[in-house]
Amino acid sequence: MRPSLERVLLEAEKVIAGKRTVIEKILTAMLADGHVLLDDVPGVGKTTLAVALSRAVGLTFRRVQFTPDVLPSDLTGFSMYDKAGGDFVYRPGALSRANLVLGDEINRAPSKTQSALLEAMEERQMTVDGTTYPLEKPFMVIATQNSVGTAGTQFLPYAQMDRFLVRLSLGYPDYEAQMKMLRDRQDRDPASDVSVVLEKDELCAMQRQVRAVRVQDSILDYITRLTMASHEHEKVAVGISPRGALFLDRTAKAKAYLEGRDYVTGADVQAVFTDVCAHRVLLKDSAEGTSVEQVLDELIRKTENPDRRALFAGLRKK
Amino acid sequence: MNRKRIMWAVWLLTAACLYFFENNTGTRIVLICSLLAPLIPPVRRALFAPDQTGVREKPARRTLRAPVPGEEEEPGDVRPYLPGDPVRRIHWKLSARKGELLVRETAPEKTWEETARPASSPPPREPCRHLRAVLISAAACLVFPALLALIPQARLGALSLCNRLFAASESANAYAYQYFPVPDDQSVLPAVLLLFLTLGSIAALVLLTGSRTLGLGLAVLCALFQIYFGLSFPAWANIILAGLLAVLLMRRPLSRKDLAAFGVLMLTVSVLTALLLPGIDARTEAASEAARDRLSLLSLAAAGSPDSMSQGETETRHVHPLSLADGGQEAKTAQAYRLVTVEEQQISRPGWVNWLRIILLLTLSAAVVILPFAPFLLINARKKKALEMRQAFQSEDTAEAVCAIFRHVVRWLEAAESGGGNRLYRDWAEALPGIFPEGYAGRFSRCAAAVEEALYGGSSLPEEKRAEALALLEETEAFLLRTADAKQKFLLKYRWCLCE
Repeated sequence: MRPSLERVLLEAEKVIAGKRTVIEKILTAMLADGHVLLDDVPGVGKTTLAVALSRAVGLTFRRVQFTPDVLPSDLTGFSMYDKAGGDFVYRPGALSRANLVLGDEINRAPSKTQSALLEAMEERQMTVDGTTYPLEKPFMVIATQNSVGTAGTQFLPYAQMDRFLVRLSLGYPDYEAQMKMLRDRQDRDPASDVSVVLEKDELCAMQRQVRAVRVQDSILDYITRLTMASHEHEKVAVGISPRGALFLDRTAKAKAYLEGRDYVTGADVQAVFTDVCAHRVLLKDSAEGTSVEQVLDELIRKTENPDRRALFAGLRKK
Repeated sequence: MNRKRIMWAVWLLTAACLYFFENNTGTRIVLICSLLAPLIPPVRRALFAPDQTGVREKPARRTLRAPVPGEEEEPGDVRPYLPGDPVRRIHWKLSARKGELLVRETAPEKTWEETARPASSPPPREPCRHLRAVLISAAACLVFPALLALIPQARLGALSLCNRLFAASESANAYAYQYFPVPDDQSVLPAVLLLFLTLGSIAALVLLTGSRTLGLGLAVLCALFQIYFGLSFPAWANIILAGLLAVLLMRRPLSRKDLAAFGVLMLTVSVLTALLLPGIDARTEAASEAARDRLSLLSLAAAGSPDSMSQGETETRHVHPLSLADGGQEAKTAQAYRLVTVEEQQISRPGWVNWLRIILLLTLSAAVVILPFAPFLLINARKKKALEMRQAFQSEDTAEAVCAIFRHVVRWLEAAESGGGNRLYRDWAEALPGIFPEGYAGRFSRCAAAVEEALYGGSSLPEEKRAEALALLEETEAFLLRTADAKQKFLLKYRWCLCE
């Protein structure tokens, strides 16, 4: 792992113990310049983690608690009539000048607000009253959604889930992590200990370097075959979209970069496959009793991996 | 869709081949085979790919009641407003008319929820409406064959029909007549009617119940029944029959275009089969029979017992100049024999269909001759390939050499543990069989990492990596060979050809 990123990880771990893999995954998404959907029960430290990460990287952090009456203009800002000047003045919203936005309980927001947020995520700009405002760089949204069944919630529409790079889940801490957390928080808040170990500009540079990570054709071939296999799987109603394939490629690159390599291997693709694709695949009604993860595992198992292909088919490029 | 069409073509070709075989051997297997072919699960899956939604999932019936004008005005659904009632429930229209506040008894959303069924719940069965039709069809299915079996007229008619069809198809194959002598003047009408009714009932049953197994079972029963009573249809009829069954079996309702295309395809194939593989030609057969008659007459004449001939045959004898029994009989008979034999040879000279048969036979015999040697050829080829692969170990490019060596290591491991095929190479280290010493996994991982770098990073490797990989290969070979039992050793040697 690259030392600078390792430092970020260690800082974040000061606050939330025992969640190294999830933090790594969020870092990967950050490097890939994508957005994260956290799918979890309340109170497992989603906000704490986001705050810690933004402090460690020196990002401007904003938190938006979504409720049914949050409006798009709360996010994008709005124009207000200024009596003295006799003109409309733009009042920035929550997304303006923010690097890391935590959208809490995004599935409680009305759909127009959701779409405003997702548009900003996709386009990296917002348009208010005909004026386009670019968002800060880097810009990352960590959205959380409560599990279905909680009062007043419903799952995000499929098309909107597709825009998140990865869907992750923190889960409850184990015994030791919880003991450590309880001990640490007896008299102080460990979040105040987090220091800036990476600058914003460094992160932007890293994102550029991620884009330059080398991907051989055999890896692209693997991604394509995985995607196609998801379309042909008998239990899958909606398979991995082309955007999903694109995100898979990008995340695999970020993963390779995180591990200090400048080339992507088949293992990178396999490592990020479930996180990137689980929320893009819809199973048929007839596939009851099978989870998406099982189907994705099956895809990985059945699709010939690039190592094998490259070695045995002589695909190697010089 | 494309693959499905190809599979159709393959299936039809197989049916044609079976017909060819049937013609050759005189057996009646096409009926069974063509009927059973779509039953075999892989064939069925290949031919009749499942559609998106699955088999019996009809879309749930959503009986959203459209708001009927006037219904809302019915005063039965409203009651006077009481303090505490939600404002949304006030029926403003009625209230305005009556001059007092009225409240809806139930929210309209609720009636919608009651009437609209979620898509996942199973569609309701309508037993009363279907049961009758199903019972009638089932009865028809069972009663008609029973009638066919019980009424001698119908049975004879069916036999006659089959024989006629058979004769029409096979031109002059005496087989059917020989085994099932049936008067020609027998009316085939009742049999045809009964058969069609039976088939129709089966089709109706399948369509009504949606159960393909039931229809298939009945169709197979029907076929068995046909075979039992000797009612075998000619091959082209069987192909059409099997095709119809296949249409019934298909997992989704076909569009008209599909059905039409399929029908045209079936007809073309049937006609082509009937035209191209007609069995023995009628005229050839007739001429051959005549020649054979003459031969037997000659032999009778040679026996010198003209009295033993019946009156009818004497007439035939008079027609033929060769069979005159007078002076110089011996020489003439011998010459006549020769002539007839030559004639017969000319008659039965193989046509191009027979050439096909000969080619098939030759191919089969060649296969039988070559087959015992095939394993040796295969092993030799593998050994040659393995040697070529080993040559890459000394390649100038270190990356290439290391890759080749590593490939060999992986082949060894795969040979030792079946089922580990689709595994990333770095994952092998965890899944290695427990026979290796402690440091082995680490060495393997390092080598795998080097190979990954060579494969995906595109950079060249230092020279010492080659030695490292070679050492790894030797170690792997030594350990795997030591632990392998006789069978594994045999496989390693001859199937995988890994030993030098």
